[in-house]
Amino acid sequence: MGATSSAGGNGRTRGIGRLRRASVLVVLVALLALLAAPSVTAQEQQPAGKLTFTVGIINDVDSLNPFIGILAETYEVWALMYDYLVGYSQKDFSPVPGLAESWQVSDDGLTWTYKIRQGVRWSDGQPVTARDAAYTFSRIIKGTFEQTNYGNYVANIKTVTAPDDTTLVMTTKKPSPSMLRLAVPILPEHIWKNIDEKKVATFDNEKDAVGSGSFKLEERSTGQFVRLSANKSYWGGAPKIDEVVYRVFNNTDAMIQALKKGEIDFADGLDPAPFNSLKNTEGVTALAGDYSGFDELAFNTGAALDSGEPIGDGHPALKDKRVRQAIAHAVDKQVLVQRVLGGYGTPATGIIPALYKDLTFQPGDGEAYNFDLAEANRLLDAAGYKDTDGDKIREMPDGSRPLRFRLFARQESNTSQQSIQFMQGWLRDIGIATDVKVVEENRLTEIIGQGEFDMFEWGWVVEPDPDYQLSTFTCGSRSYKSGGEVTANLSDSFYCNPAYDKLYEQQKVTIDPAKRAEIVKQMQRMLYVDAPYVVTFYYDELQAYRSDRYAGFQAQPDPGGVALFQYGTYSYRNINTPQAAAASADEGGGVPLVPIAAGVAVIGAAGVLVALRRRSTRDERE
Amino acid sequence: MATAASRSFTLTIGQRRLGAKLIGAVLSLAFVLVFNFFLFRVLPGDPAKNLTRNRLVPAEQVQVLRESFGLDKPLPQQFATYVRDTLSGDLGISYKFRRPVSEVIAERIWPTVLLLGLSTLLSTAIGLWVGIRGAWQRGSVFDRLSLGASLALYAMPEFWLGILLLIAFGVGVGSFPGMFPTGGMSSPDTDMTSWAGVVDVARHLFLPCLTLTLAYIAEYALVMRSSLLDELGEEYLTTARAKGLRDALVLRRHAVPNALLPTTTLIFLNLGFVVSGAITIETVYSWPGLGLLSYEALRTPDYPLLEGVFLLFSAAVILANVLADLLYAYLDPRVRAG
Repeated sequence: MGATSSAGGNGRTRGIGRLRRASVLVVLVALLALLAAPSVTAQEQQPAGKLTFTVGIINDVDSLNPFIGILAETYEVWALMYDYLVGYSQKDFSPVPGLAESWQVSDDGLTWTYKIRQGVRWSDGQPVTARDAAYTFSRIIKGTFEQTNYGNYVANIKTVTAPDDTTLVMTTKKPSPSMLRLAVPILPEHIWKNIDEKKVATFDNEKDAVGSGSFKLEERSTGQFVRLSANKSYWGGAPKIDEVVYRVFNNTDAMIQALKKGEIDFADGLDPAPFNSLKNTEGVTALAGDYSGFDELAFNTGAALDSGEPIGDGHPALKDKRVRQAIAHAVDKQVLVQRVLGGYGTPATGIIPALYKDLTFQPGDGEAYNFDLAEANRLLDAAGYKDTDGDKIREMPDGSRPLRFRLFARQESNTSQQSIQFMQGWLRDIGIATDVKVVEENRLTEIIGQGEFDMFEWGWVVEPDPDYQLSTFTCGSRSYKSGGEVTANLSDSFYCNPAYDKLYEQQKVTIDPAKRAEIVKQMQRMLYVDAPYVVTFYYDELQAYRSDRYAGFQAQPDPGGVALFQYGTYSYRNINTPQAAAASADEGGGVPLVPIAAGVAVIGAAGVLVALRRRSTRDERE
Repeated sequence: MATAASRSFTLTIGQRRLGAKLIGAVLSLAFVLVFNFFLFRVLPGDPAKNLTRNRLVPAEQVQVLRESFGLDKPLPQQFATYVRDTLSGDLGISYKFRRPVSEVIAERIWPTVLLLGLSTLLSTAIGLWVGIRGAWQRGSVFDRLSLGASLALYAMPEFWLGILLLIAFGVGVGSFPGMFPTGGMSSPDTDMTSWAGVVDVARHLFLPCLTLTLAYIAEYALVMRSSLLDELGEEYLTTARAKGLRDALVLRRHAVPNALLPTTTLIFLNLGFVVSGAITIETVYSWPGLGLLSYEALRTPDYPLLEGVFLLFSAAVILANVLADLLYAYLDPRVRAG
């Protein structure tokens, strides 16, 4: 009895089981369909009403509070949210009107008067006045926490006043060209006066953030996205798109897939291999833009504190500039550009990249370090560094120790690790042995600060104002003692040359751009000759965008530069759908990069086709 | 009388066991609390310097920043402050995000729990079912197929599987359209409280959840299958059959409960790591969870955030262990008696 009932029960459960399984399946399929359905439509339809431009980023924005955030992505968002007194021109980064429509400097170069635009409004409707600008600068000057991000810009400012709503007057301790390079977002006084010094250190500035820029912050989801909407009454012209979204990706591969699919419209910071694959993707334009970064092989030229007290354990041979010059002859920059950068860069000369045309330095004839291993060997022989024991490694002139250098690369960077492999080979050819070490950037910063290295590979990104970059070679930028401990400063070669420092102070107070450029070049020549760095290359920034969705990107510098992550917001304000952009191109609007490129491509392809056809018919004839 | 007495006695043993477990858990947690503090301070890099790197920040300003973090104080004093604050529930302010650590963690904990919780649930249910059925019908087509699939999935790196699924179902191959988003947890400009918001999150959840489920199913199925096979050779099953029980009942009442023990251990071990997240999957699908948060925190290094996050991870593992112990006692009379 028990058996039959159990069998019956079993039969029933089986039947139900099958039924249940079937229904589960149906529900699953229905769910899947529900989940999958919206994306198919969303992907096809570019919402007729709203143009949303989506940019993929790899680092999440750290904080939208202009006193806290430090990442490049964050600066890009602030550039949309806020205005600055003076901007950077699209063509060559020269100062152009921003919130200040014009400016004047007194004859002694100490008093700057900025005329603030009239009729500009904050996103909450309040008028923007010179008082807001005065408030922003005063707050930084008087503040302590506020100085972290901007102290550098206001160090030279003595007083800030706003005599009326459209006039801002600042006096400086010394004349300074930097008064046109104040990268400080102007903040609304009526909002920020309620956020005191204590609160500002933890204020997130996410909800109802008020700015005057070309876009307004709408929404931020940590780790996911930042959404901004266009300010259609922007003084610099209404953006043609309606929204900008920055979407955070945690890996580049997924970001590239999203661009291929069309989920995002722009991707930045690509590696050469995926960049090349995107070149062949339909609807995508890949752009290798001139960029303001360089890489270098740096030497420990004799580590010491700012007081001159020696520190660390750098190899004595590298204090001799003849050794550094010989190494400069043994670095084939062209090979590095081709093999490490995949061709996306240019061999470098000075520490100011070539895209800053007025400031970059070109060595004259006979001055340049051409790649020449024989010459490098000759220089080392002449300087007395000879291989006396036949182990193919040179020794110090007194025979005390071999030329064996520690060479550091960064774990985070493929470029760095690949570069030093080439360098290691070249150095071997000139009788110099290297111990290669790959370490994290954080760790390397400490090693450098303590002077416990011989050589390393790293790089810098250079601002349009050369002051910061030049300062990294001054005696005062060497490590310092703080609380009895040696602390790293900006100098990573420990170069110290009083003549250079003198020129540095001079360029700092030279307002005339042409005169200043002369000094800046002279300083770079000094660095080139003394060779604390062998600057290897200026790399391109590899970007890609959906040219089937957006056109009208603006290059900076123009031509040849990047389309986004610039000094300014030119592309954001000018891009539009390809149709609309083509229509307005006749009015002399944007630079029609895409149509020209497409035209060239079509003509080129037609040419190839014709040539191929000719050849094939000729072959057939013969 | 006698039964009542013995029952109350087992209860006392149970209580004593529970008490010992809880004390052990609290001690572990206390150890983690202390260990965390020193562990992260061994990391290279000075947070104040790293946060001001590559910008012309005067030395005095870096010092101000360092003081605001309390890093200028002697280590014992920093430690005392840390312990006092943590015990009073204050995890401090993140150096990098400049917001309270508890707030930063709270934002990131739900995505991780949602993703890992759901995929653990699914993979447990499906994995156990596949394992049981495979072992019971050993050598059948189902067994051979599922065993092959499990071994293949088990050997597959999660990252690779994730990227494959992302390309196949996120981007689409050929004329097969990409149906799911390539990353993130929600779309901009979506009301998260509405039905559309729920669907939006579900769509984002699908691929990462599928990847994790597939990755875990294999493990559960393989362990379940082999431990059930071990049981199938046991003599008590022959006895059960001899009593006249049907195969299905033998399986359900006798074999499976005994075979479940190793699998339970595994499930709970994994459960402890639910909070720490599947950092690989969070990376592939840009899922805004805790795994990534801890990676970001490591780069600064953001001591308060690291301490908070790792305290949470440890607490989760310890809690899962306690639960596993208790459940074990329930499942296995031998443990209870010992």
